[in-house]
Amino acid sequence: MINLLLLFPIIACILLFIFKKNCLNSIMINTYAVLHLLISVTACFGIDLLPFWRSYPLFVINNNNIIFLLILSVVFLAVAIYNSGYIKTEQESSRKIRHYSYMILLFVMSMSGAILSMNLGLTWVFIEGTTLASAYLIYFHKTKHSVEAAWKYVFICSIGIALAFVGIILLSIATGSVNSLYYSDLISNAKTFNPFWLKLSYVFILFGIGTKMGLAPVHFWLPDAHSEAPSPISALLSATLLNSAFLMILNIFNIMVTANCDSYARLMMLTMGFLSLFVSAVFIYHINNYKRMLAYSSIENMGILIIAIALGGTATLAAFIHLIGHSIYKAIFFLTSGNVLKLYSTKKIKSVSGLLKTDKKTGWLWLLSLIGITAIPPSVLFISEFMIIREFLTQNKIALCIIFILLLTIILYGISKAVLKMCYSEISEEKTAEIKNNLMQMNWKFYVPQFVLLILITYLTIFLSNDIANFLLRTFTTLS
Amino acid sequence: MENIFIILLGLSMIYLASTSRLSAHVNMLIIQGWLLFGICFTAFAKEPWFELSIFTNKEALITNIPHLWGLLFIIFETLIIKAYVIPWFLKRIIKKTNAHRDTDANIPHFYCLVISSILLFAGFLTANISAEEFKLVDPMYFGISLSIIIISLWLVTIKHKILSNVIAFITMENGIFLLSLSVAKEMPIIVNLGVLLDLFIAVFILGILVREINDEFKDLEVTNLSELKDYEYND
Repeated sequence: MINLLLLFPIIACILLFIFKKNCLNSIMINTYAVLHLLISVTACFGIDLLPFWRSYPLFVINNNNIIFLLILSVVFLAVAIYNSGYIKTEQESSRKIRHYSYMILLFVMSMSGAILSMNLGLTWVFIEGTTLASAYLIYFHKTKHSVEAAWKYVFICSIGIALAFVGIILLSIATGSVNSLYYSDLISNAKTFNPFWLKLSYVFILFGIGTKMGLAPVHFWLPDAHSEAPSPISALLSATLLNSAFLMILNIFNIMVTANCDSYARLMMLTMGFLSLFVSAVFIYHINNYKRMLAYSSIENMGILIIAIALGGTATLAAFIHLIGHSIYKAIFFLTSGNVLKLYSTKKIKSVSGLLKTDKKTGWLWLLSLIGITAIPPSVLFISEFMIIREFLTQNKIALCIIFILLLTIILYGISKAVLKMCYSEISEEKTAEIKNNLMQMNWKFYVPQFVLLILITYLTIFLSNDIANFLLRTFTTLS
Repeated sequence: MENIFIILLGLSMIYLASTSRLSAHVNMLIIQGWLLFGICFTAFAKEPWFELSIFTNKEALITNIPHLWGLLFIIFETLIIKAYVIPWFLKRIIKKTNAHRDTDANIPHFYCLVISSILLFAGFLTANISAEEFKLVDPMYFGISLSIIIISLWLVTIKHKILSNVIAFITMENGIFLLSLSVAKEMPIIVNLGVLLDLFIAVFILGILVREINDEFKDLEVTNLSELKDYEYND
């Protein structure tokens, strides 16, 4: 059954290539999204829909990656629905739109491959595959800015991932007599590894894959790529791509924990996490482009995730809660930013005003996602950040805790200043008429995915019961 | 024998650092491809199964088929991809974009020569460390590949033309290839194929982007690509 996740996009691409029908583009993407969700939800309950079809042992759904797969499915379905409305409003040739559809399919396929793969080398191949597949998506509008963003993205990420491959080679030096790159073999033999080479390899892998995950100081591609890509793609990049890189770091960290080299790894992860928080706080404070603001917020949240994992203890559970919350809220936020861009045709915060007056639904979505992403209480991120702060206090890291809260507060101020300004400031009559005109081309597909995601995450927040916590705790038992 | 090839590979990096003609850089890539092939082939020639009889004796051929696949893969990777396809593709881009020279690098060529020589020397020194840990690797491969990777990364930062950045990226990949040879263990063939495919597509996409940048900006200076900023917004 898992094979279908990786085979379907290839078949769909071939069908699209043969028939060259415009209506097929959205159908294929939506079918893949539904299939993806179906497979991951059934796998979650331990059901295999096609038991007679044996899967290849390289790809497995297990406790470690099921959450990542579920997030990918849910976000991808929302993005697919949004995208089928969005792509109709883009004035591009049908050939370009077909290429765009190929690339979305391949992009999601490589992310699924990276999540499902049980072999370190193969994960690397798929992570590099995500870079290559999404390069065209970022470059879709073919403007000066988008070519610059795509260039930086491909070049910086390729170098980063090449360094991660150096890390993998060094890891295979460390393994000594174990000639395998399967995670299960690596973990069961981790105690016999040579600590010198293991530590060295972790440096390379953390920096290399950290580039892909968007951790400071190697985050430079992220704001450019996220702001220049079409909004559905930004949502996919931020809510799912960064997660799949995070999963690879987690898997390697798991090996480090088993090999008792984790104090060294934790120190590096804390440093990178706090640097990410610092960088995003500095840039968000004076931000003038709302899509870049969301991109910096992604850097911030990736920083929080890596800090939570570095702390360990209950913070590990917090990291998984944070992962779910961030992905869903950020997908809502980025998709809504697509609405704002459609209405106002600008990314400048200064030029957007009176959002609540011109389009109530977009305005409310914009405000609600602000509440979600900045962790104001009904948001699930509040719970996770609260747990992280508690873990800081239990470990007696008071100074770090104060810095953490301070940086988060600065980011809260920066984002809410921009969002509230966009929602509540005055707008002239003629501008309103112009925007109402733009509003005509938007249909239900521009709102429903976000509202559904919002209901889903609110439900999860209110009913965050022991069952869900236990389900999350099952993942990475060595870490928690 | 392979030590000579490895040293020549290291010296080719010094040449890359100190010239400005892009076609010379591409020629160096071809030479590096051949050198990598030489290194792999000499390593193969030392294996006990590697005899002329495998081509004449049918039974010996059948038992050695996995080894022969490995050899074929190496020939494909080094000679066809690294020494032919990628250089051909880059030469076509150079012709189309009319970018023949990478003048005014951030540092004068003489200093480039000095710095890259020092880095290469540092690689040699690493190769001579006789610590317990280094018994797990082949020191010569390890030291030189490390200095190739570092020189390439440093070249990315100092060169001004986008194409030279791509070339430095490929030399870095060559360095990583050499590093993977320093470990006695082999990666599974599926991973090797995936890695090769990814690198090939990466170079292909970078090449396409180079041409698009040339069309958009009229030349290939790296400084053009600094429009996206946080403080002065331009739409």
